[in-house]
Amino acid sequence: MCDTCGCHSPSDPLIVEVNQSLLAANDEAAHANHHRIEAMGAVGLNLISSPGSGKTTLLEKTIEMLGRDLRIGVIEGDIETELDAERIRAKGVPVVQLTTGGACHLDAPLVGKGLDALEGQLDGAGLDLVVIENVGNLVCPATFALGEHQRVVLLSVPEGQDKPAKYPGVFRTSQIFLLTKTDLLPYFDFDIAAASAEARRINPALQIMALSATSGEGMEAWFDFLRQITK
Amino acid sequence: MHELSLAQSLLRQLHDLAAQNGAKRVSKVTVEIGPLAGIVRDSFEFGFTTLAAESPVTHGAALVIKTSAPEYQCLDCNHMMPASLHRPLNCPACQSEMVIPNGGSDIVLLQVEMETADGS
Repeated sequence: MCDTCGCHSPSDPLIVEVNQSLLAANDEAAHANHHRIEAMGAVGLNLISSPGSGKTTLLEKTIEMLGRDLRIGVIEGDIETELDAERIRAKGVPVVQLTTGGACHLDAPLVGKGLDALEGQLDGAGLDLVVIENVGNLVCPATFALGEHQRVVLLSVPEGQDKPAKYPGVFRTSQIFLLTKTDLLPYFDFDIAAASAEARRINPALQIMALSATSGEGMEAWFDFLRQITK
Repeated sequence: MHELSLAQSLLRQLHDLAAQNGAKRVSKVTVEIGPLAGIVRDSFEFGFTTLAAESPVTHGAALVIKTSAPEYQCLDCNHMMPASLHRPLNCPACQSEMVIPNGGSDIVLLQVEMETADGS
């Protein structure tokens, strides 16, 4: 610094205090998405799990059961392919496929594009429920808010009860924990009470439901929850 | 691998800051990563160093990572508990188990040190 007047001399490093979140741009877009979902008249869910935990099957069964009472729109996130969107489209609800082209998570700006496309299909009609199915990954999606009202983490019986302890981030940031594929409990060494206790140790406010989309066991509690939040 | 996305957004921000301030080079970057941010520090450092090397503006910039433990709050009685890396299992005031961290998941660009265009 210059001794005479304290001005910045060219040889000094210039220090800038930024104090801005690296997620600021994402959070801003998430905020906008949140308002757009509300403007549609809907509640938004962000479904997060490992690949193969049953997110798409749960959605199929949910649309079958509630599709007549609730107007459901779906945004599918995958690294490649339209396969999941085709499964949902077959159920007759508006669906948009987002492909990340390699990225391991959805981010809010991409979901914003998904909402554009979803609105395009709606032709001005509203929705009650917007379900965003994230890229199958139990780690990275936890860091990125998408504008959802509730974050739902799924863990299937074959994955093992140690997953909440091993992947705490997503359990910490979710409101709902769905233990899926409970019809497979007889074939796996999986203790629902232990998995639930472990998840509650990380996040005591988690609401936990155990269900099987295949047998239908426990699905009524999930449907009731959806009816409740969309009232 | 979301550490790479975050390193990318950091570098975009550094390039913008350098351009805004007429700096020729970024020499030091200080970032705070909360212990609950879900960021693997080594991966973030690796991503940053690799991506920074792609441009003369950021090549060789030092990355300083700070971290601090979160405080905790009781959802039932709002009692605040001191900063710790471990979540208290019960609220000392009302014994409730509904104790959640208050913060600790932030990823913040704190400070950037740059060399100006005509500097050494």
